[in-house]
Amino acid sequence: MDTTAQVTEAQTQWIIRLLNFWRIFSRNRIGLAGLAMLILLIFVAVFAPLIAPYDSSSSASVKIGDVYNPPSSSHWFGTDDAGQDVFSNFVFGSRVSLTVGFFAAFISIIIGGSLGLVAGFFGGRMENFLMRFTDIMLVIPDLPLMVVIVALTKPSLLNIIFVIGLLGWTTTARVVRSQTLAVKSRKFVLRARAVGAGKRHIISRHILPLVMPILVVQAVLVVSLAILNESALSFLGLGDPTALSWGQMLNYAFSRGAMSIGAWWALFVPGFGIVWVVLGLTLLGQGLEQILNPRLDTHHLMPGRPIVRGDAGEASEKNSLLEVRNLSINYVNNGKPPARAVENISFSLKEGELIGLVGESGCGKTTLMLALLRLLPSAGQIVNGRVIFNGKDLTTLSEEEINVVRWKDISIVFQGAMNALNPVRTVGEQIAEAITKHLPGFPRDQRLQERVIELLDLVGIAADHKDHFPHQYSGGMRQRAMIAMALACNPQVIIADEPTTALDVMIQAQILELLDSLRKKLGLAIIFVTHDLGVVAEMCDRVLVMYGGVTAEYADVDIIYNDARHPYTQELLKAFPDLTKPKKKLSSIPGYPPRLDALPVGCRFAPRCPQAFERCHREQPILHKLNNPQSAAHIASCHLLEASK
Amino acid sequence: MSKDHFLEVRGLKKYFEADRPSIFTREARHVHAVDGVDFNLRHSEVIALVGESGCGKSTLALLLMGLEEPTAGTISFEGRDITHLNDNERKSLRRKIQMVFQDPYESLNPTQTIEEIINEPLLVHGIGADKTERDGRVKKAMEDSGLKPAEVYLKRFPHELSGGQRQRVVIASALVLEPEILLADEPVSMLDVSIRAEIINLLAELRITRQIAVIFITHDLGSVGFFADRVAVMYLGRIVEIGTMLEVLEKPQHPYTKALISVIPVPNPRLRRERIILQGETPNPIDVPQGCRFHPRCPLVMATCKASDPPFVTLSKTHQAACLLLVK
Amino acid sequence: MNRSRAILRKIGWAFFTILFVVILNFFLFRVLPGDPARAGIRDPRLKKEAIEMLRVRFGLDKPVINCFEALNPIKLGSCAVNPLDTQFFIYVRNLAQGELGVSYHTNRPVADILSERLWNTVLLIGAGQILSIIIGVIFGVFAAWKARTAIDFTSVVSSLIVWSLPTFWLAIILLFWGSNNGLPLAGKATPGASSLPLLQQWADIGRHMLLPTITYTIVYMGEYTLIMRSSLMDVLSEDYILTAKAKGLSTFQILKDHALKNAMLPLVTVIAINLGFTVAGAIQIEAVFSWPGLGGAVFEAVGRRDFPVLQGAFLLIAVAVIFANLIADLTYSYLDPRVQTE
Repeated sequence: MDTTAQVTEAQTQWIIRLLNFWRIFSRNRIGLAGLAMLILLIFVAVFAPLIAPYDSSSSASVKIGDVYNPPSSSHWFGTDDAGQDVFSNFVFGSRVSLTVGFFAAFISIIIGGSLGLVAGFFGGRMENFLMRFTDIMLVIPDLPLMVVIVALTKPSLLNIIFVIGLLGWTTTARVVRSQTLAVKSRKFVLRARAVGAGKRHIISRHILPLVMPILVVQAVLVVSLAILNESALSFLGLGDPTALSWGQMLNYAFSRGAMSIGAWWALFVPGFGIVWVVLGLTLLGQGLEQILNPRLDTHHLMPGRPIVRGDAGEASEKNSLLEVRNLSINYVNNGKPPARAVENISFSLKEGELIGLVGESGCGKTTLMLALLRLLPSAGQIVNGRVIFNGKDLTTLSEEEINVVRWKDISIVFQGAMNALNPVRTVGEQIAEAITKHLPGFPRDQRLQERVIELLDLVGIAADHKDHFPHQYSGGMRQRAMIAMALACNPQVIIADEPTTALDVMIQAQILELLDSLRKKLGLAIIFVTHDLGVVAEMCDRVLVMYGGVTAEYADVDIIYNDARHPYTQELLKAFPDLTKPKKKLSSIPGYPPRLDALPVGCRFAPRCPQAFERCHREQPILHKLNNPQSAAHIASCHLLEASK
Repeated sequence: MSKDHFLEVRGLKKYFEADRPSIFTREARHVHAVDGVDFNLRHSEVIALVGESGCGKSTLALLLMGLEEPTAGTISFEGRDITHLNDNERKSLRRKIQMVFQDPYESLNPTQTIEEIINEPLLVHGIGADKTERDGRVKKAMEDSGLKPAEVYLKRFPHELSGGQRQRVVIASALVLEPEILLADEPVSMLDVSIRAEIINLLAELRITRQIAVIFITHDLGSVGFFADRVAVMYLGRIVEIGTMLEVLEKPQHPYTKALISVIPVPNPRLRRERIILQGETPNPIDVPQGCRFHPRCPLVMATCKASDPPFVTLSKTHQAACLLLVK
Repeated sequence: MNRSRAILRKIGWAFFTILFVVILNFFLFRVLPGDPARAGIRDPRLKKEAIEMLRVRFGLDKPVINCFEALNPIKLGSCAVNPLDTQFFIYVRNLAQGELGVSYHTNRPVADILSERLWNTVLLIGAGQILSIIIGVIFGVFAAWKARTAIDFTSVVSSLIVWSLPTFWLAIILLFWGSNNGLPLAGKATPGASSLPLLQQWADIGRHMLLPTITYTIVYMGEYTLIMRSSLMDVLSEDYILTAKAKGLSTFQILKDHALKNAMLPLVTVIAINLGFTVAGAIQIEAVFSWPGLGGAVFEAVGRRDFPVLQGAFLLIAVAVIFANLIADLTYSYLDPRVQTE
């Protein structure tokens, strides 16, 4: 009773998974087209005797006038060198091609798949030997070897299947091995081992389910290669004379004068069959591949969306270097309403000031920073607001004009400098590039090199590291190099986007100290983006706390830490471990930050807020300006603050 | 069996080959990932292992789990030597010692449902007479891990959950075996700040409700305060200071511990403190410095530090540190 | 130091692979039933003695290998014979002297026949590879840069279509087209062209090369387009491209200085792996256009069951591919700084 229940449950699981797959697959036009082409051909092959107007094996007497007849009503695609109906031979030929393709690919996939799996999973000497062997087989050209073997043995269909199958496994072995290695090194396999799972369990439950999809894509590819190889062998005169494949038809037509007679039908039709099946398989493989490795088909050079400035009002603070007013950014979402990633953010920055921008992942802080320099991904769109730098509205500039502001006036230190530096160019080159781009008059000789060395020295990197590549740097050094690059053109503002995330505490302290000293030395204004309230407390002048794309609270640093009014700021501070009171239990915020595609209707913090009341779930609070004698500007968005306004 | 001998680690070492010896290089060089670690874990105690990346704390976790074979030293559990075990012994021990990994995005198989993931340990160990019993255990582990109500999550896939929820799944799949020791390797470092406290509180609760001993591995000294009984600070493959939580946080003795504590960000500008920022980076564990391994970065370095490896100095019954400054 | 070590290791492996091919080549032609004597076993005209004479004539009476008693417990091969008098040793010795045997068909030394043909194949593959890479890269760059536009879709779909074309069939179609347009259809030169001035000779060869090279280019450019596109798409979504954009570089500067080199690296690997496959294409093209290259030699040898030529051609093709592969591999490690220092 118990086992049957389990089996049916496992079966329904599988049906659900298949349906899920079909739901995704049916949206992939390329894959669907390929599948349709393939199904049509399989249909033709299965029902060949019903479709073909003539039986190809019938050896009715051939008269001289029957050979190479052009297409006519009795022979749709004419006749061939033997006076047989080309269309009928084409229909029956599909059986031969598909048989060879599928059986040969089956052999290749079994060999390549198991070799790759064994080599990838067990590793060690076994892997070394198997992979060296695969490497050797991979280098030896396939077709010439097939030609040699088939020429030396009997050119029977069975032989051809075996030769193609036994030589066609090498790429599969490589692909499966690297996928196995990749899956094996993933943490969930380690976790399964930690739970106590044995090798068999790990292979069947963890490795195979993730290798299988790749093997399927590979199989589709191998079938098409096998069909191509069979046709080439047959065309070269090594086909089975008793099985009239498309390649064999072409061989006969080509070697028996179809070209000189101009019998295009005898040459065109069989080739069309090969193209049809191979193209069908290729499209199917491409479609499956796209589903398997879904890539966002976007990149950083795709054109941005037009900016809508709306009515953001004029700059309010006269002496500010950078002022952001009512900036809102949407992400366009195919067919669905746009995601409101950033809404109505305002802040200002004076010369030499450091502002901390704090928020959890997905709160829109990086989006906001990218929007300042108009670096949003192509789905992002500024839908309201102004970015005023030195009296100039950056949102009104053309692409050429903003290129002059980028890096020269405002530069960025990105999170994770490993990916933010080009791996194939030296660090020195990448710093020099910024200088030559923005200071065209700068001499490109020794002085440029000296300037690079000077910049590296400023961030504490020795001159001899100038010509090294980023991968030769440690994580902390890369972040320093990134800072040196940001300083290259003496900018007025530096945006530091989580510059210390993923660094060790001590390296983090070093980088913070460096940024702080550079700020004092060079009079830089810095926007410091972080998810960690503790990091900015010691060095910034003002803090903007963001939650779910909106301003939660904006005030001078002391107010934020000692007189916060927004419940989110208060809760976040309580969740922070306090070293001075080690025994204190951490208070936690229940729930999870909102997702941009599913924002709550009312206040975005309401679902997690301990003080939320009915109105919070219904109506989004506006920004309240609080009269706080200690702070120039104190803004918070919470219904509770309405009274104190 | 005394209370002290629940889990006992003595002289544990793990060296990895850095590059193989060949005709070009005469000797193989080694990464000294863990280089002589001693400590005890008591029943239902929480010990925090703190250190920066490259200090060997993650390797130590893998050694304790038996996922790596130690080069030297012993590990014993309830008085039994468990350093080297055969597959069957190791498997039965796994019911007693379980692990929670750092990255909740990577440590769940994307093709399994939450139910399959949490049920897997039961299946592997053949626990539970029938499906009803297993379902009961799965449900209890999930609800103890804060996945309430369990039915909502059973049929979902990992990608449908948030980071915090996934980490709860990982914890549930460890709890389902009812272990006596839980190794948590940086369980909160990938999570949002507002979620971290919840997971730490969950671990602290489990220790009380289920009497589980926890080895909490972290790079963040700040997060250990509330629930660790003792703290061990690691540097370059060794423990350099170990003591009760209050001893280490309030009266640190080793210069490295002092520096680490001084750089913990304090979320209050009124409490700005003097920070001791060590220059440079942790040396590469292939070429471990002679003498005290901390001396090239130590702000209080003396001439003798370069020559002799400092012994552990006992400062109180529970507090020890390895520094020549403390040798009287 | 590490780098020279890696290069040495690669050269060592290429050498080892050649050794493997040499041995494989020998045993293929000995083990499989293809030698003239065995082929004649079923011929009723040939008496036992005649077959024996044939075997002596072709050196097939000698033992295949010595058993190497000390190494070989199962006593494979003949132990009574001098190792220097085995077929294998004679084969290796001849090979070392550049001898590949004598053609059954023309009685000319195989080495002579093949050496003049090798360069014709290199010429064809070289021209075709360069053209298909250039065109493929250009299409790929445009497809990636203009991702999700009509340009992109057209490039991808047409690449998939040309990838699916059987080489020999495309060659036939082009031959058909060429025959209606007065292009030379076969061979490398018009008979008697050798008396013409050098420049006109070259022009003649160029006209003969036109159709084979076009075939070759079309067949392989699709794959290069697809690889270049996906590789460039990957690079262009990297963070360092965003850095470059933030630095104020123009689109052209970013493509030129930050994207192309990085995106070309995977292409070099694919070109190396592809060399084995492109030889397959060359054989088919040469067969259709009667191009006097190695592929043509293979095609003719298959038709005539001329095994010495087939054996020699296979060996030469395999060694050439291994060699070209090695060069591509070394180029890659030269181009990618990450490989140099690992």
